Amino acid sequence: MTFVIDDARLDPEAVAENVDWRTATEAELRVGFAQGDEGCLQEAFRRSAPLIYTIAYRVLGSSTDGEEITQEVFVSAWRARGNYRAEKGSLSGWLIGIARHRIADRQRARGRDLRLVQAVTKQTDVQVQPEALSTLIDRIVLTDEISQLPHPRGTILQLAFWEGHSYPQIAEQLDLPLGTVKSHARRALLHLRTRLAEVTS
Amino acid sequence: MTHLDPDRLADRALGTDDLLTAAEQKHLDSCDECRDELAQLSRIAELSRHPEPLAQVPADAIWRSIQGQLASQAPAPARTEVAAAKPPPSPPTVSELPRRTPRPRSWLLAAAAAVVGLIIGVGVTTVADRDQVEIASSTALEALPGQTGQGTAELIRDQGRPELRVQIDAPPTPDRYREVWLINTDGQRMYPIGVLPDDGRATYPLPPALAGQLQGFTIVDVSIEPYDGNPAHSRESQVRGTLPT
Repeated sequence: MTFVIDDARLDPEAVAENVDWRTATEAELRVGFAQGDEGCLQEAFRRSAPLIYTIAYRVLGSSTDGEEITQEVFVSAWRARGNYRAEKGSLSGWLIGIARHRIADRQRARGRDLRLVQAVTKQTDVQVQPEALSTLIDRIVLTDEISQLPHPRGTILQLAFWEGHSYPQIAEQLDLPLGTVKSHARRALLHLRTRLAEVTS
Repeated sequence: MTHLDPDRLADRALGTDDLLTAAEQKHLDSCDECRDELAQLSRIAELSRHPEPLAQVPADAIWRSIQGQLASQAPAPARTEVAAAKPPPSPPTVSELPRRTPRPRSWLLAAAAAVVGLIIGVGVTTVADRDQVEIASSTALEALPGQTGQGTAELIRDQGRPELRVQIDAPPTPDRYREVWLINTDGQRMYPIGVLPDDGRATYPLPPALAGQLQGFTIVDVSIEPYDGNPAHSRESQVRGTLPT
């Protein structure tokens, strides 16, 4: 997908550099965003919008809310970019933090409706509780990370976690030594731990 | 003994059958740090077994909205304010549309529906000179968690009589029927308004006392009802929305 952005109108003071942010590392993106390079906003949107949208959509249960929250998060993040400390944490983690606040605001605003929903439906799980929200966000982040792992690491994890295959089965399927498969799985799990800490801390 | 190698803890969390040595197990039993580490890795392994796939995001549309909002340099407006900021096109009233007699009622409703899109969100009501069909308010109906579907509900006045028009695109459930309700925002009271046909489109007369501001009965709810002869709400709602007052 391609995006067109009107650089001059977004931030007249930004230096229009011809940088292809699509190939930028996360660290480069953080710095560029904090400095107000609007290409970074676009790239951050490309990378993180599916995550933000999915979290809002799953928690609030409506695609309209998902779209509105996603829009609000990126607009707020861009306007508040002066508060973002690139050295302190990941951009996606910061965006998720903003999304959590926005989702909570909306849940409060809908509190009356939610109480009604509960009264009518006797459902007690309509309002996602904070702990359940964290778990849901973690699962969405982990699913996203696993999907982005390079082959064969990603394939190994998907077969093991999502398909329930044993490591010997995976070794045979991928025609790899069992030791290699296990080593990839270990590395992948440690990588997931690091990413999750970055994103949700 | 030094802390356990993260690889060994990962093995343990993954259950790869590489058992810990007696020395490693002994260290684990006495070291909070390593146990925390193992607990974290085990939690991640467990959560990873329950994937939550990313939803299909309408990225282009959202990005255009973001661009528009940032370009305006204005504080974030709500959607309805965006609509109101534009000069509203003058919608044709029903009376301006070509007339044919006799005019079937459904035609009239279709004509009214044609102008609804133009007036939602700008707070304008359209009154037909002679037929006096007025759309007082309108809301989107959205699927409840676990349900699919969407639609609209409109509070209209046909020659002064309050009516509720519901249109939803949501599949009917086999061996169930759907009922439309108006629920009070106090969460205590509701009126059954009528059965929704399988095509999801119907217009209902409302009790006269609900004219005006609906007396708080502004939540439009469509429930899925079993054929059990029980007149109460089944507590299974398909879509829901709140009419603005």
